[in-house]
Amino acid sequence: MKKILSTNEFLVALIIIVLSIIIGSKNSVFFTAGNLIDLLRSGIVMGIFAIGVLIVIVSGGIDVSFTAIASFCMYTTTKVLNYYDFQGSVLIAFVLAGAMGLILGLINATFISFFKLPTLIVTLGTASMYSGFLLAFVGVREISNLPAGMSKFAKMNILKVTSENGVVSSLHFSILILIAVVIITWLLLRYTMLGRGIYAIGGDRVAAERAGFNITAIQFFIYGFVGLLSGIAGIVHTTLMRNSNPVNLLGMELIVIAAVVLGGARITGGHGTVLGTLLGLFLVIIMNNSLILLGVPSYWQRLVIGILILIGTGATAYRTMRSSRQLHRNSVG
Amino acid sequence: MKKLLSLFIVVCLVMTLVILPGCGKSADESKTTQESKSTQENKTSKGDKSAKTKKYKIATVPKVSNIAWFDRMEEGVKEFAKDTGHDAFQVGPQKADAALQVQIIEDLIAQKVDAITVVPFSTEALEPVLKKARDKGIVVISHEASSLQNIDYDIEAFDNAAYGAHFMEHLAKLMGEEGEYATFVGSLTSKTHNEWVDAAIKLQKEKYPKMKLVAEKQESYDDQKTAYEKTRELLKAHPNLKGIQGSAMGDAPGAALAIEEMGLTGKVHVVGTSLVSVAGKYLESGSCDLIGFWDPAKAGYAMNQLAVMVLEGKEIKDGLNLGIPGYENLKLKDKVFYGQAWVDVTKENMNEYDF
Repeated sequence: MKKILSTNEFLVALIIIVLSIIIGSKNSVFFTAGNLIDLLRSGIVMGIFAIGVLIVIVSGGIDVSFTAIASFCMYTTTKVLNYYDFQGSVLIAFVLAGAMGLILGLINATFISFFKLPTLIVTLGTASMYSGFLLAFVGVREISNLPAGMSKFAKMNILKVTSENGVVSSLHFSILILIAVVIITWLLLRYTMLGRGIYAIGGDRVAAERAGFNITAIQFFIYGFVGLLSGIAGIVHTTLMRNSNPVNLLGMELIVIAAVVLGGARITGGHGTVLGTLLGLFLVIIMNNSLILLGVPSYWQRLVIGILILIGTGATAYRTMRSSRQLHRNSVG
Repeated sequence: MKKLLSLFIVVCLVMTLVILPGCGKSADESKTTQESKSTQENKTSKGDKSAKTKKYKIATVPKVSNIAWFDRMEEGVKEFAKDTGHDAFQVGPQKADAALQVQIIEDLIAQKVDAITVVPFSTEALEPVLKKARDKGIVVISHEASSLQNIDYDIEAFDNAAYGAHFMEHLAKLMGEEGEYATFVGSLTSKTHNEWVDAAIKLQKEKYPKMKLVAEKQESYDDQKTAYEKTRELLKAHPNLKGIQGSAMGDAPGAALAIEEMGLTGKVHVVGTSLVSVAGKYLESGSCDLIGFWDPAKAGYAMNQLAVMVLEGKEIKDGLNLGIPGYENLKLKDKVFYGQAWVDVTKENMNEYDF
């Protein structure tokens, strides 16, 4: 019992509950099914990103290129499919974007693994490269008319809730994609040797190498996987907004990384769980999507978001610090 | 060897970092033109300055470089270059960010352009760098920024208060002159957006006392997704909301998508500035009622035209005619010219506009 109480996940969940109660007491709309669905919906794209970021952070790296990869994949896919006036299924769009993302991710992996460059530098550089290439050679104008398969997918909902005043809230099919990604990643990190390897690299690279893990292969897997997820997230983003814009995902990377860190993944590597990440993400989404419900004037919204993130990350960081001190004391004593 | 190779890669990456942000294709273009231009300039600058054939180098800096609105403006700038033979080009930041805009103008000053025409994202942030440009003898013309101090002239497609108020007239009519409404601005520092909304709110308070403002100036950061999410939230927080007035280009379509998905088409009315290519499908489905805009291509053309007139030392006064529809009889107030160039589009006449 004490073990559960002292986990990071528990702390984040506690913050979520307290925040929810505060918001709910100010505005009862917060607890309606419609609002819950809206919160889930705005978390789909960020959720897929966050899972990718989690794996990278666990392995001791950091990736800031995933939004650039996603923009690249979704915009190029939309443009190519429109060019051929493609009428088929949305699956092709996912396959195309996923494949492109995988390739871009593997480019990242090549720099990181073969040239042993710091991950932040590599992904900063490639992010700029990918989005520069996109804007210079593929196009800059946003596309409002999506290919047939994608517009059809945009209207696929698995759940519809109509509130008493006739407002419809619908949960989009792509939540299932997020759920699938979450389950696969959870199984991967928990039950496979590959998952153990990812934690091992993040914990101590040299030790992992001596223990017999193939670091190059694992790194190729990590960054390829993140690229693949980014490509898929890009298509989901485009279909949800019914509009393909080559830049409006850029700049989201910091809030996603903040969500993952809030969820207890340590930026130094070796620690982090899927559950924690989802909780951290949910906390960020609640913060981002409830200020109007709270009646915070728009002049104050940015300030409030900043304060909440500071408190959130501060609390988890403080806890981590304390627990590592305790660990130290235990091992000495 | 490996060390050398990795060093090379690092250098390459750093280069892409330095070169790529803020400048897409047009920056490269401007670089090559700058080189050819500077040799040309050396010849002419020592010679006869008043020569009528002198070709000027004029840069147009939009808020952000890759949205339909400023793409359309670029068409006007290119048309101007073709018509007049001046070296006119457009270069803007990749995302709407005041700091990036300052950086681009700094670069342009270093490139020794003759004139800069600019659509500021944040007027306050640009004052120092525009002062620097003017100190170096560069002519500065702005658009959508009637409060800027360090400019030669500002040119507005219309009087902002009149434009903002006309949206309220339409919104009031759609709402039956009663009920709750909300307004969006791209950013609280976007001067024109705030002027439109202020004028609209003022008109509502004077003329439509039964209407009630429940959420003033929500920021959309010029992003359709943000407008969409905030609209959903607004409709939950204020279930009786009946009208939304948008300002940035993505506000009206973002709000309209939210309304369409929530099944409120026809119950909540949306008006705002946008373009047919972006908001057209929502006009068609009825979730967006009316969009207004001015043709950014003509505005870009007009800014460049005015810049050349200033450079050539022509007389600039009230009633100026730039020879562009809507900009034929400009009203001068302090340093600001006002045209009469707005267009309203509804479902009925949306097919007349292809941008």
